[in-house]
Amino acid sequence: MNGHRAVIVQADVITPFGKGIDPCWQALLEKRSAVTPVSRFATGAFNSDLAATVPGLDYLGEKSLVMQLLERLFPVQAMVPADAHLLLATIKGEIDYLERSIATGAGDAGECRLDRLLARVSGLCGVRGGMVVSAACTSSSAAVARGASLIRSGAFDCVLVVACDGVTEFIYSGFSSLMALDRGPARPFDSSRTGLSIGEGAAFILLMSEGRALAEGRGVLGEIAGWGMADDANHMTGPSRESEGLIAAINGALACADCDRDDIGFISAHGTGTVYNDAMEMGAFRSVFTAGSRPVYSIKGAVGHTMGTAGALEIVVALRALREKLVPPTVNLAEPGEDARGWVSPDPVELRECTAALVTNAGFSGINTAIVLKGYGTP
Amino acid sequence: MKLLVNGMGWVSARGCGMVAADWSVAFGDAGTVLSVPRETIFLQPVKNFGRLDLASRITLIAVSLALRDAGIESSPRHKRNIGIVGTGSDGSLAADIDYYRDYVENGRRLSRANLFIYTLPSSSLGEAAIHFGLTGPLLYTVDQECSTAAALQVAASLVADGSAPRVLAGRTEGERALYLLLSGEDERALCTLDAAAAILTGSFDVDAMVEEFARARG
Repeated sequence: MNGHRAVIVQADVITPFGKGIDPCWQALLEKRSAVTPVSRFATGAFNSDLAATVPGLDYLGEKSLVMQLLERLFPVQAMVPADAHLLLATIKGEIDYLERSIATGAGDAGECRLDRLLARVSGLCGVRGGMVVSAACTSSSAAVARGASLIRSGAFDCVLVVACDGVTEFIYSGFSSLMALDRGPARPFDSSRTGLSIGEGAAFILLMSEGRALAEGRGVLGEIAGWGMADDANHMTGPSRESEGLIAAINGALACADCDRDDIGFISAHGTGTVYNDAMEMGAFRSVFTAGSRPVYSIKGAVGHTMGTAGALEIVVALRALREKLVPPTVNLAEPGEDARGWVSPDPVELRECTAALVTNAGFSGINTAIVLKGYGTP
Repeated sequence: MKLLVNGMGWVSARGCGMVAADWSVAFGDAGTVLSVPRETIFLQPVKNFGRLDLASRITLIAVSLALRDAGIESSPRHKRNIGIVGTGSDGSLAADIDYYRDYVENGRRLSRANLFIYTLPSSSLGEAAIHFGLTGPLLYTVDQECSTAAALQVAASLVADGSAPRVLAGRTEGERALYLLLSGEDERALCTLDAAAAILTGSFDVDAMVEEFARARG
């Protein structure tokens, strides 16, 4: 690896389990799911009535769902260095403004434009400028990859990745139209899985060059050691059955990290619970990790598919797993699909040694990302 | 690494064309880019072109012209490691309105997948990736100035960090669009990255930008 190491010096999340990684981690270990009946809009017309929502949000109120989430995430501006370069990852941002405008005629639908959300988030975080990165359900892992690249190249020495998406009627009805929702809570990698559960949340990851982090005496949580992004160029809503996009992304991330595939101790999969996504991922894992299985898990049975937030949230969970040397269970997994047997588990898995982890995400139009995450101090 | 622009495709209110090839079509009084025969723009038929949303159709036209201008024969069957970074001030707003208005007008009981799939800011880029076989990174980006130059810089960093050897960068606004192909190769160089960034800074006046790129080409 040439250039500056990109290390994670701070991270936090809001999930349906609450603020911080601790309640989310505990829920995962206890195999609890936050996927419950939706109460914020009528679901009678959809093929599910479930989602993982954050309690206490005011839907179609004065502020958008995502700004309410982010205000909980950033209670004080001083948490973020003022010179941090902001990368905001989201898919639909403040789409609830558009919902209200169209449904009631009140307000401006254009208020949901992402450049306007960017201005609000930069103000909330006390930083200037920044950029939105939107790449379907890989948005926040793509933003982390961009941030790490900017640090490695020396363009910036501090990058703040902020991720957010909310559960709204717009999004829910859309996923229902695609027949992508499981009637019950999502069952990633299960033989009887039929779809995903939508979730919401927000996360931030503060990246720094190793040099700056050490100079400022900051604790280092881990390193974004490598990243890869590739597109299937195959279909708008379905992944390639050959898995070639994700394989390319994983191989790119391993090469970028100068990491041997055998160094990867576990994999945090996208694991939506749809038949085709999970099969595509397992195809890629089996193709790349030919020496044998390693623990694979998905957190989406517990927190739902948090869309633009998914990658960042999953990186934060994987950091915790690296630190604890404990792979969380795949919640709602009863009988693994044939292709996932020996890789996924309904129970936590302890690791003896683990220096690196892989985090994968995939999204509409066949976008794939892979991130190699290392514990700090790992060569 | 010295980065170069290898080709550029554009669509304005008055015409569409390619800069390195010094080729353009004027729409005339009543026409728009959508009235130009497709075989004039695309080397191969684009499946379901008429069913795509407007942003996707305009983006596909500009990307097709940019790839042709760079001498790349693209095809969904022969995939290439080319990335795409796009921007636009409204993102997917028009598609968002079309989808949700249709849903509300149908009594909130019928939602249409064929409208929903265009409600991601990256959807038009995804259509381009599928139709031209682009397997590199795909990102929609926007900054507070909705700057085209910022998207170009993201594309440049993707080439520089080895994410892809070539990356398209551009912007779509309504029926106007401009896409460039960027690489580290010096074949068919139209201009340097720095020259392109200087031209793309400021308001999105496609005709004026085309003139400046033509001057930069020399």
